[in-house]
Amino acid sequence: MIATTGTIGELSERFGAGSLHAQPTKDGVPTVWAGVERFRDVLAWLKSTQGGSYTMLLDITAIDERSRAHRENQPPADFSVVYHLVSMDRNQDVRLKVALQGPNPTLRTITDLWPNADWYERETWDMFGITFEGHPHLRRILTPPWWEGHPLRKEHPARATEMGPYHMTSEDAQRMLATMEFKPEDWGMKRESGDHQYMFLNIGPQHPATHGILRLTVQLDGEEIVDVVPDIGFHHRGAEKMGERQTWHTYIPYTDRIDYLGGLLNNFPYVLAVEKLAGIEIPERAQVIRVMMAELFRVISHLVFYGTFSADLGQMSPLFWMFNDRERAFDIVEAVTGGRMHPAWFRIGGVAMDLPTGWDRMVRDFITYMRKRLRDYDVTVMKNRIIKARTVGIGSVSQEEAIAWGATGPFLRATGVDWDLRKKRPYGGYEKFEFDVPTGTHGDSYDRVAVHVEEIRQSLRIMEQCLNNMPAGQYKADHPLATPPRKERTMHDIETLINHFLGVSWGPVVPAGEAIAVAEGSKGNHSYYLVSDGGTMSYRTRIRTPSFAHIQMVPMLCRGLTVPDLVAILGSIDYVLADIDR
Amino acid sequence: MLRRKRPVGLPRGLERPQSSGSDVYMARRNDLIAWGRKYSMWPFNFGLSCCYVEMATSITSKYDISRFGSEIIRGSPREADVMVVAGTVFAKMAPLVLHMYEQMMEPRWVICMGSCASSGGMYDIYSVVQGVDSFLPVDVYVQGCPPSPDSFMRGLVLLGEAVATEKRPLSWVVGPQGVIRTVKPSLRDNMRPERQKQTDLRSPDEV
Repeated sequence: MIATTGTIGELSERFGAGSLHAQPTKDGVPTVWAGVERFRDVLAWLKSTQGGSYTMLLDITAIDERSRAHRENQPPADFSVVYHLVSMDRNQDVRLKVALQGPNPTLRTITDLWPNADWYERETWDMFGITFEGHPHLRRILTPPWWEGHPLRKEHPARATEMGPYHMTSEDAQRMLATMEFKPEDWGMKRESGDHQYMFLNIGPQHPATHGILRLTVQLDGEEIVDVVPDIGFHHRGAEKMGERQTWHTYIPYTDRIDYLGGLLNNFPYVLAVEKLAGIEIPERAQVIRVMMAELFRVISHLVFYGTFSADLGQMSPLFWMFNDRERAFDIVEAVTGGRMHPAWFRIGGVAMDLPTGWDRMVRDFITYMRKRLRDYDVTVMKNRIIKARTVGIGSVSQEEAIAWGATGPFLRATGVDWDLRKKRPYGGYEKFEFDVPTGTHGDSYDRVAVHVEEIRQSLRIMEQCLNNMPAGQYKADHPLATPPRKERTMHDIETLINHFLGVSWGPVVPAGEAIAVAEGSKGNHSYYLVSDGGTMSYRTRIRTPSFAHIQMVPMLCRGLTVPDLVAILGSIDYVLADIDR
Repeated sequence: MLRRKRPVGLPRGLERPQSSGSDVYMARRNDLIAWGRKYSMWPFNFGLSCCYVEMATSITSKYDISRFGSEIIRGSPREADVMVVAGTVFAKMAPLVLHMYEQMMEPRWVICMGSCASSGGMYDIYSVVQGVDSFLPVDVYVQGCPPSPDSFMRGLVLLGEAVATEKRPLSWVVGPQGVIRTVKPSLRDNMRPERQKQTDLRSPDEV
């Protein structure tokens, strides 16, 4: 599908037809290549109002092109850096690519254009070895400081078993810990101001309030936070590299574990992206089943968020109650999929199997039960004076700041921006459902939580519509690349049996191309950008996660507040460490 | 005299002297202390990854590990007895895991919760240590990805049973030093006869 929108025409007009190169992709996102000298001008122009107001930088990543065979319609490159921009005014995306040559290329930074480019460029340096000139703190972010090599380069080993047996003595551990010691000078921080010294408090990575292994070093002036430096990478599982070692089908369980509270919500963008590359259309029943299970997992994820938020602020009981509600939801998940937290139940082409008989009774009971519980929680949590005192007006962010930092999902909607991909760019069947998108007004911690709570109600509403309108039909598409093909047919004709065998052993061979699928995960915009080289495995799997952008904002949200406010803010940003580090 | 079956939950070898009506019970010192340890193992609030969510679920009301003595989850390793390595052991986090373990006071035990902590699990990848037993002594391996809270509680109870039969020195100046532990049983082998008797398997097609 050739990308044709006004953007490429406008870019050619502004910069000259010869200076940019358009690349057709399978996802309809206009993709242009710009040269190393001009790419910053192109990005700045796209950001401006005349250029289309592409005010959000969704992602920066890179592709190691050196072993890629199918690069038709693309300029020669050893590495390509990819910038993905979003315009909310136009409801459109644009992808800018820059071709780089040589084993250790350099490129100028764009941290002056978008503040959130900071961590994305650090990650691209860490993973690929591409140096960004002018970046304020270009250092490793996902791999430890003692790491050698750049993992996503094709020559870096993927498997731990290829790297020799692991040895670590107590002395080794102390040496490694010494490299992680915090030095304020590295971050441009002063140790003292005038007549008093700052205190540098290390929070984490093992700490109950950080919701996972996240390290925050807080520069304190007495009780007031002057600055915060988050240190991530403690949860880096190499999911993107793993994509290059797994078939398109066997990668699905790895997606569950990216946002580990979200379960099937993670499978969704991944299978949508593969289906775009493969050209598969999903039958209606499969779509509605997917939407229902995805919304159930949104409820499950939001309940953990709600419970841990109230626990962070001192309440103990709501956490226990909400985990109990989650158990009822897991009864449904277990009955339908067989698994609890990580079912890996979506398949390329549909879902793994049909719903069991009796599912409707379980879902109906859960919806009735949950609606009543939410009313109770409103009184216990949202109307509580202490919770309000600790979160109203704390950690506020304006709409422009949120967009500039790449915030999406409930975080962005709490500021008042009505940006929900299920409404703006309906995918997977969401266009057929009636639901509201809750927004906040002040963008503070309280609004973030209020948006989440209302989203639980809207998810229950969507589930009720799925329940009342579940169409009959197939649970998986009749397409040669739907993996695995429906089992009933495999026993009847040999071609389906051969296809089934190849599909589960060798794996489906997805045609070459690039496609991104962005979905509304429970935490924000969750996307999979897949590059296929016409093989059984992905050539490049780029996972853009919402929590990475949100945690980058923590220093900005906390300045001038106190450490308890920091805890309240962390509790109100719905994030999961695997979502940040992958 | 009739051999009565000892009720569950009492120290090993607890004896009541012959004279009835007496409130005096006799047991060996080691057994009494091991019994006390078994029923008050406080876990360390240390979760690495997705398994931690299931561990947290086992702390909540439906599963409730405090029934088995794990009433208090300590935030500091210095106050905890059991370190549950719940989740993947990342290369960047590994020195910290060892650092936490070294801060725990004896007696201390380690439960590997989940496939990632036991062996690296499905993450045979550059940034993951293939099993925390590369650098920590492990007492119980709980399988699952993630193990359901029931499995985790079973692992905790199994550890309790092992702790009740451990022989530990009571002082560093008196008596033989060194801990004598039980041989780790394989639940898979132990449960095999019972599992082989299951012939009535429910179909997933109805609830």
